[in-house]
Amino acid sequence: MKSIRKVAVLGAGVMGAQIAAHMANAGLETLLFELPANEGTDKSAAARKAVAGLKKLKPPPLAHPAALRHIEPANYEEHLPALADCDLVIEAIAEKMEWKLDLFHKITPHLGEGTWLASNTSGLSIQKMADALPDDLQARFCGVHFFNPPRYMHLVELIPTQKTDPTMLDALETFLTTRMGKGIVRAKDTPNFIGNRIGVFSILATMHHTARFGLSFDEVDALTGTRIGRPKSATYRTADVVGLDTMAHVIHTMSATLPDDPWHDYFQVPGWLQKLIDAGALGQKTRCGIYRKQGKTIEVLDLEKGDYRPSGKGVADEVKAMLKLDTPAEQMAALRASDHPQAQFLWACFRDLFHYCACQLEAIADTARDLDFAIRWGYGWKLGPFELWQAAGWKTVAGWIGEDIEAGKTMAATPLPDWVMALEHGPHAPDGSYSPARQQFIDRSSLPVYRRQPYPDPLISERYSYGETVFENDAVRLWHEGDGAAVLSFKTKMHTISREVLDSIHQAVNVAEQDFKTLILWQTEEPFSAGADLSGALAALQAGEIEAFTDMVDRFQQTSQRLRYSSIPVVSAPRGLALGGGCEFTMHCDRVVAALETYIGLVEVGVGLLPAGGGLKEIARRLSALPENVDPFPFLQRWFETVAMGKVAGSALEAIDLGFLGACSKVVFHPHEVLHVARQQGLFLAEAGYTPPLPDRHIRVAGKTGIANLKLVLVNMLEGHFISEHDFEIGSRIAEVICGGEVEAGERVDETWLLDLERKHFVELAQMPKTQERIAHMLKTGKPLRN
Amino acid sequence: MHIQQAYIVSALRTPVGKAKKGFYRHTRPDDLLAHVIRGVVEANPWLDPQQIGDVIAGCAMPEAEQGINVARVSTLLAGLPDQVPGVTINRFCSSGLQAVAMAADRIRLGEADVMIACGTESMSMVPMMGNKLATNPAIFTDENVAIAYGMGITAEKVAQKWQVSREDQDAFALRSHQRALAAIEAGHFQAETLPYTVRHSLPDLQNGTVRIQESTPAVDEGPRADTSLEKLARLRPAFDARGSVTAGNSSQTSDGAGALLLVSEKVLKAHNLEPLARFVSFSVAGVPPEIMGIGPVEAIPRALKQAGLSQADLDWIELNEAFAAQSLAVIRQLELDEDKVNPLGGAIALGHPLGATGAIRSATLLHGLARTGGRYGMVTMCIGTGMGAAGIFENLR
Repeated sequence: MKSIRKVAVLGAGVMGAQIAAHMANAGLETLLFELPANEGTDKSAAARKAVAGLKKLKPPPLAHPAALRHIEPANYEEHLPALADCDLVIEAIAEKMEWKLDLFHKITPHLGEGTWLASNTSGLSIQKMADALPDDLQARFCGVHFFNPPRYMHLVELIPTQKTDPTMLDALETFLTTRMGKGIVRAKDTPNFIGNRIGVFSILATMHHTARFGLSFDEVDALTGTRIGRPKSATYRTADVVGLDTMAHVIHTMSATLPDDPWHDYFQVPGWLQKLIDAGALGQKTRCGIYRKQGKTIEVLDLEKGDYRPSGKGVADEVKAMLKLDTPAEQMAALRASDHPQAQFLWACFRDLFHYCACQLEAIADTARDLDFAIRWGYGWKLGPFELWQAAGWKTVAGWIGEDIEAGKTMAATPLPDWVMALEHGPHAPDGSYSPARQQFIDRSSLPVYRRQPYPDPLISERYSYGETVFENDAVRLWHEGDGAAVLSFKTKMHTISREVLDSIHQAVNVAEQDFKTLILWQTEEPFSAGADLSGALAALQAGEIEAFTDMVDRFQQTSQRLRYSSIPVVSAPRGLALGGGCEFTMHCDRVVAALETYIGLVEVGVGLLPAGGGLKEIARRLSALPENVDPFPFLQRWFETVAMGKVAGSALEAIDLGFLGACSKVVFHPHEVLHVARQQGLFLAEAGYTPPLPDRHIRVAGKTGIANLKLVLVNMLEGHFISEHDFEIGSRIAEVICGGEVEAGERVDETWLLDLERKHFVELAQMPKTQERIAHMLKTGKPLRN
Repeated sequence: MHIQQAYIVSALRTPVGKAKKGFYRHTRPDDLLAHVIRGVVEANPWLDPQQIGDVIAGCAMPEAEQGINVARVSTLLAGLPDQVPGVTINRFCSSGLQAVAMAADRIRLGEADVMIACGTESMSMVPMMGNKLATNPAIFTDENVAIAYGMGITAEKVAQKWQVSREDQDAFALRSHQRALAAIEAGHFQAETLPYTVRHSLPDLQNGTVRIQESTPAVDEGPRADTSLEKLARLRPAFDARGSVTAGNSSQTSDGAGALLLVSEKVLKAHNLEPLARFVSFSVAGVPPEIMGIGPVEAIPRALKQAGLSQADLDWIELNEAFAAQSLAVIRQLELDEDKVNPLGGAIALGHPLGATGAIRSATLLHGLARTGGRYGMVTMCIGTGMGAAGIFENLR
């Protein structure tokens, strides 16, 4: 298979630059092209500016600042010959067909014989572009549609033309999956493809029903956000983030390109939206749109008043109750049966969305799976439209939709396609998802790359059994699939670490040492772990059970040590949050295989504590590994700041840089490939003749001078009002532990010495009222308290 | 009591570069120092270098590139004979002025007839706290904790105690830039400036060769024409979340060097020299470390008293602008005439290469007095860990 090492992105706009950033994250040599500058000597100034701008974007497109070095700014005047040795060229310029065709014409002579060409258009015809290309290039051309922001949105739509070489398409899908970490959906070449076609329709339907039921924008956002499994920004806040002008542009495109769509009448920019755009209120980028911030108050546009008012209209209690009913079927039935306008609104939105998806599926996608994943991965919904429908009772809901069509309540009168009623339980079945075109259920792709995902993102119809159980209790499950690797998964909420989890880890290591080659710490879903179970700890403290509490801390430390000194290799395989104890366990494993989007950190200061599961001991141990003639202070200070500020790494790559993950760690871009790679790593270490580390009895510490140096930092932060007295207290204790206590600089201590220090200070801090206030506040609000 | 007077016959300095990103970022402080030592020697063709009694160099962080007795190293690098010795001294920000006072003292005591006083600092190469921090654990007691305070924190404490507002600090900073720019424009620094030719050896990766990039900056790099009260007001406090001291109203970190040639009356007469100035007096005094910025308030009256002068006799005051907060506190406390303080701008605009500043600003003062015809002038500054220094000169041009 062709290996991709060098890529070019044409167009350094918001999307182009961010796609380039993600290519650079993935360690690819990346050229970013923009028009040549008219003035000055630097013809690549525009691209250079875009590259520099990547550092300021939020959320950060760069997983690690060093990725920036892999991006080379370029311009079409001087650098086109450099395209010859690019393996992949992605066009990401403005959405104008003539401009795109012009550009293709300009670059074609420079492309290498094996260069793949792809367009990141969000909805223009891929076939039309292909038609303008020479024959041999047509086989190497297709659409690749990233979603914004490309590092974070999982979806990439892959759109072949009739002439696209299937081998190339498979290779590109493989590359985008493993190297870029994306979820691939193959789409048909129809306007706006799948994600935006359905996603934008859903927004239009929501706007239509907002007006019809006389609801306000903040009310609709409260209804269409996390309560129904969609992002917090819901409908109108999302529009502000996307940009109201962009939104209007997409609606215009739908109107122009889909004249025969039965819902065509609704592809219009509402008058109020046009007014906002005309007034220059384009959303977040102009700090004013459907919402705006006045001081600390968020205000929302109130159409009745014709002015902004403080936002905050919520969901009615009776509708809340409906959405909390046990099953989706009960929820949907309750919404439909209710007279409450909010309930009626939600039912209408769901109904018209389902109706539209059913009628358009055959034209735009191969299977219902593709449509559902496009919406889940491209719009951040927990379930796709067909999954929602199926969960609510396929036939019942279909019947209700049919009734509403008959009654003229739906947005379009088009009847549901025949296949809808022909399916008993819905389009997702154990043997695949329904394809109206092929009139059968189609299994997931058999492309070899997907063998790297033993448990891919599951559809509603897919329930995994996760191998064979070795043992299971309320806290954990140890399981395997016959390959010699035992996998330990936590069952606690947010995978927090309770006393039972600690005991179970000991048990798991014991069992794995007997019967397996390696032990993998992996969770069936994110997060990896939110850290120690604070409620248990606080209860013990408040009951004055200091001895029991100290014993639990000791058990925590011994658990980390057990992971480190087991006779078999232990691999930590985090994705998502890995905080506190979750970070400490990971720091004690032989190897880490982390998803790119792993957010790891020692955040104990947030609850007034310090890491005492061996985390600080590990830091001291790692500092001791520096060459003797190197001043350890800059490294010590960096670690200190990381821990004392509770810093969480913004990616697995950054975690390596911060030192949480060792340099041998593997960063896996696709979250569902993590387990596969972790097993390979564990088995590799075992096969390579694994020897557990020997106890470290010669840890060189910074001692008194190190503590004094760190205190100097703390004194200035305290005097400068950057930290509180209690922060100072915690910081001083962290300093003492990572410096090995009040001993002479350069003295050597063992792990027990450091663990004793950790435990002593942890227990002392835990008994302080301010720390207990912090713990209680965190348990109550989920947010840290500054006191 | 001294037995003879000490005179300054030459005072030269390099342009001051911005630390880390400026034109001297790759220039060694010992090379800069050698350059200005050579400069004052060459400016005096009558001088047999063997006559130089000693070279006293101020440096605030005398280590690494400016370590191993940078005075001696630079003296040799300047091509002076082996017989000329060199000593490096350190009183942080007043080191360069301290060097002048010590050189003058050797002459005034009759122990030497020709001396070089100088200073150098590369804040690009040696950071403010040195390369290896090694705090004494004993300082964390109530009495001594202020030793741990960063200079910015002490400036905040001065601002609080003497009630210097953010607005006043920013206005002072803006004026510093405006005065410095006007002075550069008028060429007022030309007589004291000895440009140094910087040669950067850069890898030319395409040709596989080392490319030499040469430049000879002739004016100070710090003053900003694009600053304004609005821009200064937008900056966040740098040292105290609730404070008023910002990067904009603090001195800039810098690289630079300066040197003065001092002679006795005997040498003056023997060679019929026309001196720039007579060294009049010097004083240094301690204050609490947490308000180190107020140091000149103690040092200035003492220096004046030694000289038998009153404040009104001073025509020009070079008050090192470590921070606008402490500069204004000193000005107000002593009721200094603001028109006479830093007429060509100060460290907020021109930069503050710690140990070199005393020598550099002495050069500015002496050439300034010569140009304007004032009689007495003073160089003064606050000093970390709580001190102040002041030196008075009499213009003889």
